[in-house]
Amino acid sequence: MTSVGWSLVEAAARLLARDEREAVLGDLVEASESTWQGLLGVLGLVFRREAVLWKSWRPWLAGFGVALPSSFLLMGVSLSVSWSYLTLRCPELLQKSSLTLGSGTIVLLCKALLLIGWSWTGGFMVGSVSRRTLWASTVLCYSPCLFCLSRFRVESLSRFCLLLFLLPAIWGVHQGLRISRMKLSSAIVLAVAITVMMLPAWNSAGQHWWSPPRWTLDWALCWPAWYLVATARRASSKAGLGSGDGLWSGHQEQQTGMS
Amino acid sequence: MLGEFEYLMITAAAGLGDDAYGAAIREEIAATTGRKCSIGALYTTIDRLETKGLLKTWMGDATPQRGGRAKRMVRVTPKGVHAAKDFYDAVTRVSRGASWVANRTGSAS
Repeated sequence: MTSVGWSLVEAAARLLARDEREAVLGDLVEASESTWQGLLGVLGLVFRREAVLWKSWRPWLAGFGVALPSSFLLMGVSLSVSWSYLTLRCPELLQKSSLTLGSGTIVLLCKALLLIGWSWTGGFMVGSVSRRTLWASTVLCYSPCLFCLSRFRVESLSRFCLLLFLLPAIWGVHQGLRISRMKLSSAIVLAVAITVMMLPAWNSAGQHWWSPPRWTLDWALCWPAWYLVATARRASSKAGLGSGDGLWSGHQEQQTGMS
Repeated sequence: MLGEFEYLMITAAAGLGDDAYGAAIREEIAATTGRKCSIGALYTTIDRLETKGLLKTWMGDATPQRGGRAKRMVRVTPKGVHAAKDFYDAVTRVSRGASWVANRTGSAS
């Protein structure tokens, strides 16, 4: 096997777990496999490993149930937050809207908190539900972002205002990877807070006859928070209520690894 | 019940004894069946059998002929031996009377 060929095989083997990589590369050296055979063997194993993960419902839920739709919706919310901020900063726009400075600030605060809450819970769910297929969820989240960034043309707003949701979402993913489940009480507080903050927005939003009701879109963003409640409830009923005094629980599940 | 490849792997690993690891099992299967076995098929089957409790694996020592890489050692568990024996018995029973069995008791020629 040439050094360039071997480097290719080693690069492909990086997609495997450390111990498995070690065993597989050792086997290839011992069997004196050709570059092509070695590369095919490693890629075949990587494909099989990935295929096994996708037999479960978890990566499908994380990718197509949360990452992809939430990405579109949260870009809309990010834009709405940016527009509300611009309205507050510009006296002419504030005058045109029916808002005062005080009510406008409350609306902006509410929207910003909702954006953070929705993004964080969505990210947490993606990170905790399917950590080993996170790459796929990331692609499904970033693809709509790139598409919208390339098409966004509003003079008064930077195109990057579409991506306001990314920071809390990445934070949520990081937390979800670190901790598999929230403590039940924390999950309930978070879900209730998000749901309550949604309610005023349902009355204030202007609707077109062709657009779906505002609450359907809001629920599409809110359900990850209630999913976290459901999983936390199931975990606490398994472990026995009252166990664990910290904010989070589920360190053991993380150690054993979920799909 | 075991699959055909699972049976081959358990039998090869049992035959190799303390020297059973990925490359050796592949070589043994290729030598006895005349078919090459891919690394992907080998390691995913090892994992499946280990999950079922039919094999036990651990990382062994690194050797110079492997470029200093460690082996994934394999040992057949008593449950694995039992499953392989069940498979062998079933194949033996179902093969009685088949035309390709040398000392068949059936009438087919």
